Amino acid sequence: MTVRIIAKLDVKPPYVVKPVHFEGLRKMGLPSQMAKKYYDQGADEVMYIDIVSSLYQRDIIFEEIEKTANELFIPFSVGGAIRSIDDISKLFHIGADKVAINTYAVQKDPTLINKAAEIFGNQAIVINIEAKRIDNHWECYTDCGRVQSGKDVLEWAIEVERRGAGEILIQSVDKDGRNRGFDLELSKKIVDSVDIPVVVASGAGSLKDIKEVIEYAKPSGVAIASLLHYGKVTIGDIKKYLKANNIKVSK
Amino acid sequence: MSNIIGIVNYGVAGNIHSIKKAIVAAGGSVLVIDKPEQFNDVDKIVLPGVGSFKDAMQELENGCLLDSLSSNKKPILGICLGMQVLSTIGFEYGKTRGLNFIEAEVKPILVDAKIPHMGFNTLEVLESSELLNGIENKEFYFMHSFEVVNYKNVISLTDYNGHKFVSSIQNNNIYGVQFHPEKSRKAGIKLFENFINIGIS
Repeated sequence: MTVRIIAKLDVKPPYVVKPVHFEGLRKMGLPSQMAKKYYDQGADEVMYIDIVSSLYQRDIIFEEIEKTANELFIPFSVGGAIRSIDDISKLFHIGADKVAINTYAVQKDPTLINKAAEIFGNQAIVINIEAKRIDNHWECYTDCGRVQSGKDVLEWAIEVERRGAGEILIQSVDKDGRNRGFDLELSKKIVDSVDIPVVVASGAGSLKDIKEVIEYAKPSGVAIASLLHYGKVTIGDIKKYLKANNIKVSK
Repeated sequence: MSNIIGIVNYGVAGNIHSIKKAIVAAGGSVLVIDKPEQFNDVDKIVLPGVGSFKDAMQELENGCLLDSLSSNKKPILGICLGMQVLSTIGFEYGKTRGLNFIEAEVKPILVDAKIPHMGFNTLEVLESSELLNGIENKEFYFMHSFEVVNYKNVISLTDYNGHKFVSSIQNNNIYGVQFHPEKSRKAGIKLFENFINIGIS
């Protein structure tokens, strides 16, 4: 089985932005154009996460999502501001293959996970977890690391699996945008705690960082954002490097 | 000769948008089938599906599509859940009768690894089939928790952490793929092109 190399687009509609440590934002380009570029480079998946709409209590902006979906012949996950079965249904209708839910399930109603999994199948439901280290454990945050929830990350991971999630995206509030490597302990603990696939994100600053998290935590996928957006490396470079280090990736 | 590909639109056909796009990219013409009489207007049929076996059969019946599909003699390509329901029987949320085009049962994947099996994986071809012609890199995207168990009609297997499961089947003009060709880059588009070209030339 290959490890999935996923291009993650953090979007402040209509632009992909580069959040620095979940705060200041820098415009990087349009999602549809960047998604096409990463598809052409050989990405295994594209994730589109609207990082502001949930916080500002705005509705999902479907137009750019549809445009992005139309560029791809690989799986496409969409997250940000998902609050209802109706939102999810609309996203699938315009070409999303999976939806990534965070704030609403953490803050308001976790049964949205159960309902969504029952209707759309668990393979279509990704739970996006933003983890921040506090003393000896990690706590769930929402809205780009701004809002504390009091929920323990590992307990939440097990709970969402039980509720029918098909995949977890784990992001680290501490490591995001710093390009200094992943939170290895967090990644490994999550992978070992659940039986569903886990995608790790936040912190890739070099090819070596990516190799390290794969070897240490054995995730099903790695989501990369700024390392790609700044053009420091391409998806092709990542795959070539991992292959040379005996890690199986798709061609 | 006309060559229109009908995509069956029923309650669990959430991925219809992507499949349509891929068939068009492969040079095909598409008609979305919502009513039973539309089976007469197409030359080949694609049966999509994401969700559970039980829901899929129920939705085919609710949409009055089940009888026309069962008695159909045209080539069919079942994708993911659409492949699974071509089987005799499924064991997802109880025991449900399938379309029985392929003598097989559908059961949870028996493997000590993460489920769903999600990501690009390779086909090990057992029997040559026009469906897989000319596809050099046989890597396709999988996204499933159940597998088709049978011993006949297998055209390829795929290895997931040491467990080999059926990844594509063919019984005469009935084809099924466990993976998502519409999510598998050029290899997937080539597969649709092969399906479009079956019986032509």
